[in-house]
Amino acid sequence: MSTITIAWIALPFFVGFVIYLLPKLDRYLALCMAFASATYALQLFLERSPLTLKLLDNFGVILTVDQLSGYFILTNGLVTAAVILYCWHSDKTAFFYAQLIILHGSINAAFACADLISLYVALEVSGIAAFLLIAYPRTDRSIWVGLRYLFISNVAMLFYLVGAVLVYQADHSFSFAGLRVAPPEALALIFLGLLTKGGVFVSGLWLPLTHSESETPVSAMLSGVVVKAGVYPLVRCALMVEEVDPIVRIFGVGTALLGVFYAVFEKDTKRMLAFHTVSQLGFILAAPVVGGFYALTHGLVKSALFLIAGALPSRNFKELQHQAIATPIWIALVIASFSISGFPLLSGFGAKVLTTKNLLPWQAIAMNVAALGTAISFAKFIFLPRGGQADVKPGFWAAVILLIGGLVLANIVYYEVYTFANIIKPLATIGVGWLVYLLIFKHSILKLPRVLEEFDHLIGVMSLILILLFWKGFAWLGI
Amino acid sequence: MLEACIFATILCGFFGIILKKNLVMKIISMDVMSTGVIAYYVLIASRGGLFTPIISNVKNVRYADPVPQAVILTAIVIGFSIQALMLVGVMKLARDNPTLESNEIEKNNTP
Repeated sequence: MSTITIAWIALPFFVGFVIYLLPKLDRYLALCMAFASATYALQLFLERSPLTLKLLDNFGVILTVDQLSGYFILTNGLVTAAVILYCWHSDKTAFFYAQLIILHGSINAAFACADLISLYVALEVSGIAAFLLIAYPRTDRSIWVGLRYLFISNVAMLFYLVGAVLVYQADHSFSFAGLRVAPPEALALIFLGLLTKGGVFVSGLWLPLTHSESETPVSAMLSGVVVKAGVYPLVRCALMVEEVDPIVRIFGVGTALLGVFYAVFEKDTKRMLAFHTVSQLGFILAAPVVGGFYALTHGLVKSALFLIAGALPSRNFKELQHQAIATPIWIALVIASFSISGFPLLSGFGAKVLTTKNLLPWQAIAMNVAALGTAISFAKFIFLPRGGQADVKPGFWAAVILLIGGLVLANIVYYEVYTFANIIKPLATIGVGWLVYLLIFKHSILKLPRVLEEFDHLIGVMSLILILLFWKGFAWLGI
Repeated sequence: MLEACIFATILCGFFGIILKKNLVMKIISMDVMSTGVIAYYVLIASRGGLFTPIISNVKNVRYADPVPQAVILTAIVIGFSIQALMLVGVMKLARDNPTLESNEIEKNNTP
């Protein structure tokens, strides 16, 4: 198993360069790689105990794979496969597929490693590959959006590096477990890096613009898996070191509320979905024990939604309300929206219930409000008129069927959830959400300012979050 | 003393990123910041001593810790490549925005 793990981590980078050498085979190789990752993840579920590898002794690379990373890796494999299928008949060059597979590989590496430095390398490589994908159309806007992304993630990772060396000074190793003995400032710096990279809370407000302005398949990839590379280490730290668990939960609740607040008022489909990613990341962090399953369902549903939103005739909800969309697309849209609002028979339901069961008492009210906001914001999609004509790309249906099929199949993981009491609550939430939408928000014209999303403010907010974390960390550890 | 200088370097870089208007200056500030971070790794490594840990005739001296130095090499390479990539992007942007004021570019390129 350990040999397979190492080979599997190295394989995507190798395949990426082979694609560049053999441009004719690009999509076949890429698709094979994505399915190989998914198979590997399924194999992880069969293993009972976590597998830990220490390469080159204590100072070197430490890899840990268990069921938690299995969920994340499965998400990565399925979303990448869907994106490749979506692009199958487009005129994307081999460069695009090579970058896609390198991005896939670096995120796989981030999901497997358990020490700070290999995590740093994986995150930076994923940042570079994501920049190249965002800037693929070579227009001024795409280059600026990509530059902004690279800039913010690199500055965050510089803070992270300072934190990593402080952990080394205290523990003489870079493993996550060293956070237990590390000083609070190390914790604050590392958290700042990961929060920013993962798009969590105020420091994650770079995310909406980046995700909504990139191309459809790229935003599906970014929202589906790339942000999870920043969230996974937080979940892993919260599970390994129980002192940081409350901090992770606080940020989870905060980001769930913030994202949904913006999403409810948003008038643009892709920006709404991007804000929604921010809020769903909060759900993953709010209950770290079951975060893996939530990440899987969210990755599948969000990339499906981004692909479908790319097939709609307009990006503006006001225009869409007067323009009928084709019935098959509408059905796919409704299935995905139902899943994310937690409707039974789709795995979003199981994930929501599982998360609710693992919340602490003080989180419950806030998370219920966030779930209600989810229902309100997705009512915008459900109540769109239908019956028009559609002209979708040839690969569209293959991708969407793969993702939605995954959603339905993922139900069996947690089938014992189907009890009467469990089913009533999400249905009530959705009902209340629709009512609130039809009565209030359908006609609201409030437009929230975008001041916080400007470049300088994003960097400035980082320093504020740093101060907050310092203060929190000092208070928590009683120093 | 040295540690204070290093933190001053990091902060200078960070404030440069916020306060400088020109995009190229912002990138250079980022480089200053990463120089500070690298210097901090070297400083931490030299806490135990300054000698290179290689086999030689010298016995029982205070060695520098090789691990942080080895680790920061990766970060130097990554930082360099990101810098190069960003400058290429800025060159592309400079054709349509010769002043490279980040506010202007942002205003033109956001919906």
